This record gives sequence, C-alpha cells and structure tokens, in this order.
Amino acid sequence: MTGRDHTHLAKPKEDEKIRFRDIQAQPRKIISSPTWSGIESEEVCYNAGYTNVHEYIPWRTLTGRQQLYQDHPWMLDFGEGLVSYRPPINTATVQSMLEKHGDETPTIVLNWITPHQKWGIHSTYSDNLHMLTLSRGGPIVWMSEPDAKSVDIKDNDWVEVFNTNGAIMARVVVSQRVNDGMMMMYHAQEKIVNTPGSKITNARGGIHNSVTRTTVKPTHMIGAYAQQSYGFNYYGTVGSNRDEFVIVRKVEDQDIDWMEGPIEDVEAAE
Amino acid sequence: MKIRAQIGMVLNLDKCIGCHTCSVTCKNVWTSREGMEYAWFNNVETKPGVGFPKEWENQDKWNGGWHRKSNGKIHPKQGGRWRILAKIFGNPDMPEIDDYYEPFTFDYDHLQNAKESKAQPTARPRSLISGKRMDKIKWGPNWEEILGTEFEHRRKDYNFKDMEEEMYGEFENTFMMYLPRLCEHCLNPTCVASCPSGSIYKREEDGVVLIDQDKCRGWRMCVSGCPYKKIYYNWKSGKAEKCTLCYPRLENGEPTVCSETCVGRIRYLGVMLYDADRIEEAASVSNEEDLYEAQCDIFLDPHDPKVIAQARADGIPENWITGAQESPIYKMTMEWKVALPLHPEYRTLPMVWYIPPLSPIQNAVESGKLPLAKNGIMPDLDKMRIPVKYLANLLTAGKEEPVKRALKRMMAMRAYMRGVLIEGGPDKSILDEVGLTEDLVKDMYKIMALANYEDRYVIPTGHREETIDAYGESGSCGFSFGNGCSSHSNSDFDLFENPKSWRGRSASGKDNRVNTLFTQGKTSNSGGSSGGCCGGCS
Repeated sequence: MTGRDHTHLAKPKEDEKIRFRDIQAQPRKIISSPTWSGIESEEVCYNAGYTNVHEYIPWRTLTGRQQLYQDHPWMLDFGEGLVSYRPPINTATVQSMLEKHGDETPTIVLNWITPHQKWGIHSTYSDNLHMLTLSRGGPIVWMSEPDAKSVDIKDNDWVEVFNTNGAIMARVVVSQRVNDGMMMMYHAQEKIVNTPGSKITNARGGIHNSVTRTTVKPTHMIGAYAQQSYGFNYYGTVGSNRDEFVIVRKVEDQDIDWMEGPIEDVEAAE
Repeated sequence: MKIRAQIGMVLNLDKCIGCHTCSVTCKNVWTSREGMEYAWFNNVETKPGVGFPKEWENQDKWNGGWHRKSNGKIHPKQGGRWRILAKIFGNPDMPEIDDYYEPFTFDYDHLQNAKESKAQPTARPRSLISGKRMDKIKWGPNWEEILGTEFEHRRKDYNFKDMEEEMYGEFENTFMMYLPRLCEHCLNPTCVASCPSGSIYKREEDGVVLIDQDKCRGWRMCVSGCPYKKIYYNWKSGKAEKCTLCYPRLENGEPTVCSETCVGRIRYLGVMLYDADRIEEAASVSNEEDLYEAQCDIFLDPHDPKVIAQARADGIPENWITGAQESPIYKMTMEWKVALPLHPEYRTLPMVWYIPPLSPIQNAVESGKLPLAKNGIMPDLDKMRIPVKYLANLLTAGKEEPVKRALKRMMAMRAYMRGVLIEGGPDKSILDEVGLTEDLVKDMYKIMALANYEDRYVIPTGHREETIDAYGESGSCGFSFGNGCSSHSNSDFDLFENPKSWRGRSASGKDNRVNTLFTQGKTSNSGGSSGGCCGGCS
C-alpha cells in the first residue's frame, strides 16, 4: 500500500495562480497539499481526513489510525490518557483586585468564557462596518439577566471587566440564553473600534485575552513521540488558558474616558 | 378567471443559521448609498424579539396592512384614499429613524492620523445622518442577535399573542429561531393602494412590486401602509425605495442575490399561477385564520389542462407555464403543504413563504425517550422547544393545524429517509400517518434536503419584449433613477445639500480599504444601477 502516487490531487490545479490582487478581492481556494488531509476539488468539499480515507494515507499517529487514547507515560501520569474534565482552579487573579476595587461600585465575579466568534475563522477580518452594524458597533460581552440585575447592569451599559491580568472596556449584552455565573466575550473583537480607556490599567480597553494569562501545559512538552512531536504551526507547547474569573462592574456613560489626551511628558513628570 | 404568473419565494427556516450573508450581499448590491444607510431590503431577525424596525409586526401600533370592515370590504388600515390625503403632511403612523436605528460609521481616519496620545487610538462612532459624534450606539438593525437584550423588552414580540410568554423568559425554556425578511411582493399590496402619486406598481408579467422613481413624490404613505415595513425612505433622493426581487437577474433566469448567496441553501424561487379575479375575495374572508387557505385557493394547478389553456389565452408565455409545473414553490406550498405565509392576517396575500423550523423535543432527555403523541409514531409537537402557537402566530394567523402538519411532514421525511439510507428500511406507516406517499417524500427529500441549485431555482427567463415596446428603448441607457443617462446615481431631485466631506471618505482622499462602504457617487456608484425601476418604465 505504500509508495502511492498522489500527484493527481494537485494536477487539475497546476495552471492556477493566486496573486495578491486575487486574495485582496476575496478568499481563494488553495491547491490540495500534503500538509492538509482534505482536498480542494470541484467534486469534494474540503473535509478533514479525506486523503486518509480515500487515498490510503495513514493518519500521522503512532498506530497510523485515528487515536483518542494517548498512551504516553506523561499523559497517563497526568490522568489524561482519555479526554478528561478539569474543574476551574484558583488562579489567584481575583481576590487581591476585589480587595483593592471591590468597594467602589457593586461588582460581581464571573467565570470568563471566550467562545469562537460566529462571523469568521482564522484571519477573517470581521470588524468591518457592515458586520459591526449587524452587531452592536464595537466590543461586547454577554451576561445573564439575573447576574446583570444583581449589580444594576442593563443591556448596552458600559462595563469594566478586570482581574490582576488586565482589564477590558466593553458594552454588555444582557441575554436570557447566558447561564448564571458566566460572562462571554466572543474572540477577535478589535479595540481599534469604539473602545474607551480603563481606569484600572490606565490604558485603552483591552481584548478578550487581556484578562487571561498563558500557562504552559506540561503535557504539551512531550516530543519525539509520533503525533506528539513538534511541528511548526501544528503541534507544540501552545499557550493554553486555564479557566479564569473576572470582576465585572458597571461604568456610567458620563464616566467613560476615551483617553485621547496628549502623551504626557515623562521627563517633566519626574 | 384571469390567470397571472408570479415569481414566489420560499425560505426553509429549518436550515437558516442566521449568518446574514443574504443581508450583507443585498446591502452591498442595493443599499450602500447615501440616504439608504439605514435601509436593509433584506434583514435577518432573531426571534423572539421586536425586530427591525422596532415592533414592526404590531399593527395596533403601525396601522399597516388591510382592515376588514363589517360590510366585508377591505381598505388600508391607515385609512382609505381621503384619509390618506388628509394626513399627507403629518402621518401619525410613520416610523422615525430611531424606530430603525441611527446609522453610523467610525472615524477610521483617526487610526492613521492621530497624534501621539497617552493611549493607542480608537475609532469612535459618528452618525451617518448628522455627521456628528455619537457618544453611544443605542440600536442597530440586528440588535437582538441571538437573543440580545432583556426578555422584558423582547417579550413585546407580537407573536406571543394569546400565550403565557412569561415562562419563555426563563433560561430553561429559552427558544430561538432566525427570520430572514424581505419584501413580500404581495398579491394585494397595501403599499400600492396607499400611494397618493400612483408610483408603486406590480409588474403584470412576474408580480414584482416596484416604485417608479419618476412618479414618487416622497409622501411615504407606502412606508406606513406596508405591514412588513419593507419600504424605505431615501432621505437623499427624497423618494421611497424597496426590494426589487433583483428583477434584472430574474429576467435573465438568475436567482436574487440573497438567494444566490445563501450559505444554508434555504431559499427557493419559482413560478406560481394564480387567479387575479379572486384576489379581493381571498383577502376579504371574515376569519383571519382562513386567510392562509383562502390564498391557497387562488393558486392554480399548473398541470390542469383548463388552467393551461386559460393561461395561454391570458398571454402567459410557454416557458412560464412549464416553469410553474416544475416550480419548487408550488410543490412546497400546495403539494406538500410545508410552506406557510408570513402574517396572512395583514390581508396582503404575501408571496414570500416560510417552512417552519423543527426544534428539539424538550423533555426527551428527562424521560429517556422521545414523548410520543397518542397512538402515534410522531413525537408530541406540544413538547417542541419552539411553541407551535408561536409559529402559528407568525405564519397562519394563529391557526395551529397547518403548522403541525408541516412540522410532522418534515419529521416524517427524516424518519422515512433515515430508514431508507441508514437503518431499519423504509417504513411506509410513518408516511401514512401524515398523508404523504413514497414518491412525494422522495421528491421532498431531493428538493428540501439535497437542495441542488437547479431544484431550488426554477426561473423562466423574462419576456420584456412582450411587456413594453422595445423600439422606443433603442439607444437609451440601462438602469437609472429615472434621470436619463446622467452619471449620478441619485435623482436630480435632492432635498439636501451636497454631502459633507466626512461622510464615508478618508481624509487622505485616496482609495481607502477601511471604509469604502458608503462612498460617494464617483467611486462605487458610478453605474447608477440601484433603486426602483428601469429608465424606460414611465
């Protein structure tokens, strides 16, 4: 079965060229490549694992098959031989900030969730005027109706979301579909649009990862072990974020600071 | 009997994922112009919610659509001809910009030109109406996206009529669906009846409702008359504009832009034959719950030899008769009865219909199995997450049976085809229960589940040569706002002064990739291909 020829996958596209102006106009389909397990053709939509099934290319695993069970000793030592649930831990990012800022206005501590946005993948730029118009025209975070009520927050209020990692300024969407105890911020919202400054950081707003911290996961450091070998942009010690908690408080409209003042002369200040 | 043909549309809500591609492509093509920034000929709403513009469905508030008098006659709810004339300078039923939203852009230039500041720059919002700074954006065309805003606001949704809506505000009972909306191209349009200038007309050959930009005088009675609020006032040209069903595409046998670009393949286009002599009768039935059936009654069977003969006599082209016979719209509305009209109680006899969405059976997990209705194979529809009553208020003036029939037939199709394709073998008893045959369900599966392009859009090419005297068109320009072949996209009639320099332009004056959406005539709109009717209509 080995030594099979797969050049026929790319042949129909051999005359295709993608120039800068092409990708400026719209996304373009790429040519089938050995890097990815799907193919680009007129007959088959891109789907992962296609060449493994139809071209008899083994999966790049120890067994050459799809593997869920990870038998590496480190994985077993961490109890992660199979998919497992890990409860949130205390990352010590909330208590000290609560002590510092907890009395200023009513606050609530919520579990921070950063789901994938609905509007794009990877480098898709979705913060354009149409998409912002079809959303709320700037960064938003979501919270449940009971949680919002408990700290006197209404839909479209400005809120400051913070912990020891950093702070975010955004408007809030209050929704019945959000479970109590959590706050969501869809990722990839840009602070270049409609984002005021934060009193906590004394800097502009922040993005969904301003309140998280990258932690290195030991099991990601397994190397030279079939599918757990390092590959650029493929597999390695990526930044993995543990469950995080944030403090949320309302900011009155009149207290919004756009931080458009001139840069302060550092020497004069000293 | 007087037979006319119309291109109708069906949207399968069971497949809509709320991606807004229809809205965006429509806006790019038709309303990315000054004066129309707030207008969305196509928009997608998350239901339950008040929608766009706010509470558009509530005709106690807006007085759109028709009213049936005790003598059985119907007249526009906002008043007949004399009443309309009497309030021509002060229309109490007119939505204001805040009922839609104040359109905005951002100071993108600031990102490039800002002086050194203590924090990195951000582009703040600016009104596209006044050109002034907006401190806070307060509403948009899709503010309620995925159930945004508190239930106490969204509960004003008209479709909660006769329901105990309170419980649906609880997290555990949350339900939602998407509703893409466009002009209904009604058989009995209130906008046409409301226009003091006689500028709105329904094209005889394909039923598309258009506004003659030459005749429109901007009285806006159509805006208040339309119960779907799908006519928009262009504050730049001072005229009303609406969805054209992309008639330049239809005439060439191509689907509308919203249909063509639909990612979920939810849209269908095809010909319907109807009896134009019975429109008034159908729109005037006394019980609102009967309006759906009344409209079905004036649709004609394109396979009936008598209908075919009469259609030929009435001048329907041969390819339109064939089109009607192969129409996916006829199959969905008449043969399978899975598509239903949007708010038939407005009595406009709308021609954009909807297949109601299936939703999870609520307590399936608790009980460990699907709850079954008495003596049946089908699950109990009353246990669906989206209440049947809600769908009925949306699609059949509150009558639940047609909605139930449609949902059951879709479930039966799934169950039967699962048997055929996966396990268990074909089980005809499921079909018997919902009144379907194996042939019908296979056709349903082909058109609704596989949904190939050629099955979704059966659009005979137009015959403009039979509608207008083409000789006079020789040497004239293509599409315009009725102002001849001038290079400007907007009419010469302009209530306002020249656009202010800030609007949608970069200060540098160069082609600006950041904000080219609302540029002025010279760049993106030089063809002047937008708006109501072609230059030769008047």
